[in-house]
Amino acid sequence: MGITEKINRNIDITSWKGKIPVNYIYTAGIAGEKFFREIKDNAKIVGTKCEKCEVTYVPPKIYCERCFARLENYIDVGTKGTIHTFTILHENLDGTKKEEPTIIAVVKIDGTDGGLIHWLGEIDPKDVKIGMHIKAVFKSKEKREGSILDIKYFKPI
Amino acid sequence: MGKRRVAIVGAGMTKFVRRAQETGKELAYEAAKMALDSCELTLKDVDCVSLGTAPDAFDGVHMKGEYLSDGAGGWRKPIMRPYVGGGTGVFTAIHGWLQVTSGLFDICLVVAEEKMSSCYPHPAGAFLTIFDHTTEQPLKPNLIWIFALEMRRYMETYGISHRDIALVSVKNKKNAMDHPCAQIPQEITVDDVLNSEVLADPVHLLDISPTSDGAAALVLASEHIAKKITDKPVWLDGVGWNIDTAYWATRDLCYPRYVEKAARMAYEMAGIKEPHKEIQVAEPYDPFDYKELHHMEGLLLCGKGEAPRLTAEGVTARDGNLPICPSGGLLGVGNPIAASGVMKICEIFWQLREEAGKRQVPGKPKVGLAQAWGDLMQVGTVVVMRR
Repeated sequence: MGITEKINRNIDITSWKGKIPVNYIYTAGIAGEKFFREIKDNAKIVGTKCEKCEVTYVPPKIYCERCFARLENYIDVGTKGTIHTFTILHENLDGTKKEEPTIIAVVKIDGTDGGLIHWLGEIDPKDVKIGMHIKAVFKSKEKREGSILDIKYFKPI
Repeated sequence: MGKRRVAIVGAGMTKFVRRAQETGKELAYEAAKMALDSCELTLKDVDCVSLGTAPDAFDGVHMKGEYLSDGAGGWRKPIMRPYVGGGTGVFTAIHGWLQVTSGLFDICLVVAEEKMSSCYPHPAGAFLTIFDHTTEQPLKPNLIWIFALEMRRYMETYGISHRDIALVSVKNKKNAMDHPCAQIPQEITVDDVLNSEVLADPVHLLDISPTSDGAAALVLASEHIAKKITDKPVWLDGVGWNIDTAYWATRDLCYPRYVEKAARMAYEMAGIKEPHKEIQVAEPYDPFDYKELHHMEGLLLCGKGEAPRLTAEGVTARDGNLPICPSGGLLGVGNPIAASGVMKICEIFWQLREEAGKRQVPGKPKVGLAQAWGDLMQVGTVVVMRR
């Protein structure tokens, strides 16, 4: 019995079904409010810079994580960057095969110390290379809702 | 190997509010920054971080400690997250004390954060699965059930009326009127409490602290460093923690024996022989009004069943002989779980330094105590503090 017995299905032994019934509403925060507002209204990416540490945070933070200075100047960092690393996804979460592979990249935004994880588009998976220069492609203004998905993907320049 | 003496040299906290726009990281930063600024230290001076935050299910971020780390000043530093549920706040200070008393580090930043408003429709939902999944969950228990069962057992054992208990809510919400960070400072009457909505008899709405967003922080330093930082160090001279059985039905619900065990550990370390005479100001955990009374008894600040009488006689008022929760407590200041335990230590820190402003208790107190309670409502965490 117990640990020494192989059990193929929990429902074959005494068991109950249950769930943890919680849902969430996350706030964007003080810096997040600026970040998403700029994306939605102006199709711009903003960051904050610590002058002392010479570090520019994207997405922006209200504090420098290195020296705890309060950061209040939001700067337009442009929408271009480079591929820092990437992966090509062939399966969905449930294990089924994707019709088209999806490319995910860590995008270092030019002139900053930060970046975004996002999709790559308008490129054949075979052609993706680390170091490739790319830029953000935004949804049209009327479709933007203040979300990271307002950026459709990054594409090669 | 001897223990090194550890002092609190700085403290800070955010406002406690029902819903904060700030993210958890931003809340943690505000409290941590305020604590460092209060003792004129910078992040560079910090050797290690103890970060306290209660269930991940509140903020809705699994591995919340790691998520919060940069807001808590943990960037490229040794950081650890202790956890004992609702007792986490006071326990995080104990954890920071361990890091410094051991000789491993000289300066520890202690930060506690909670953002309960993320949890929707109500953070109480996060507690539905703390009960045994086979013997208890099918009955659909919730947190207030348990408190109602405990409160009634306490009332019955010592012949205490709801009216006696409601005085705690009245006192604490009024005390909170002098706290700049308080969420629900109010001037109410015992009848207001008794006439408020019944949630699970005998627990009424005004017997309970609110759910809150907020953060609080402390700076701890070893003795030789503390004396360079401030001429008013507050020493963490005793710490204690203890847990009771996980089975509700085998617990003595009328008396928190685990709190007594934790208190005795802290008293022995601090050389306190007669706590009811030597402790001059205390912040026992008061998420419910009866819990303040329960905890005063467990902390040996009075005999069993005697706390209501002390409350009725005004002994526990801010200007009484033994001021209890002069901050306004969780009932008045608010209850962002882990942060509220650290808020209590902040209050004793300010009281012992005579920096509590309008909340200052008279008589220049030299010895104080803060306590929290949590896990499956069966852990006690205690610190004894001295000027």
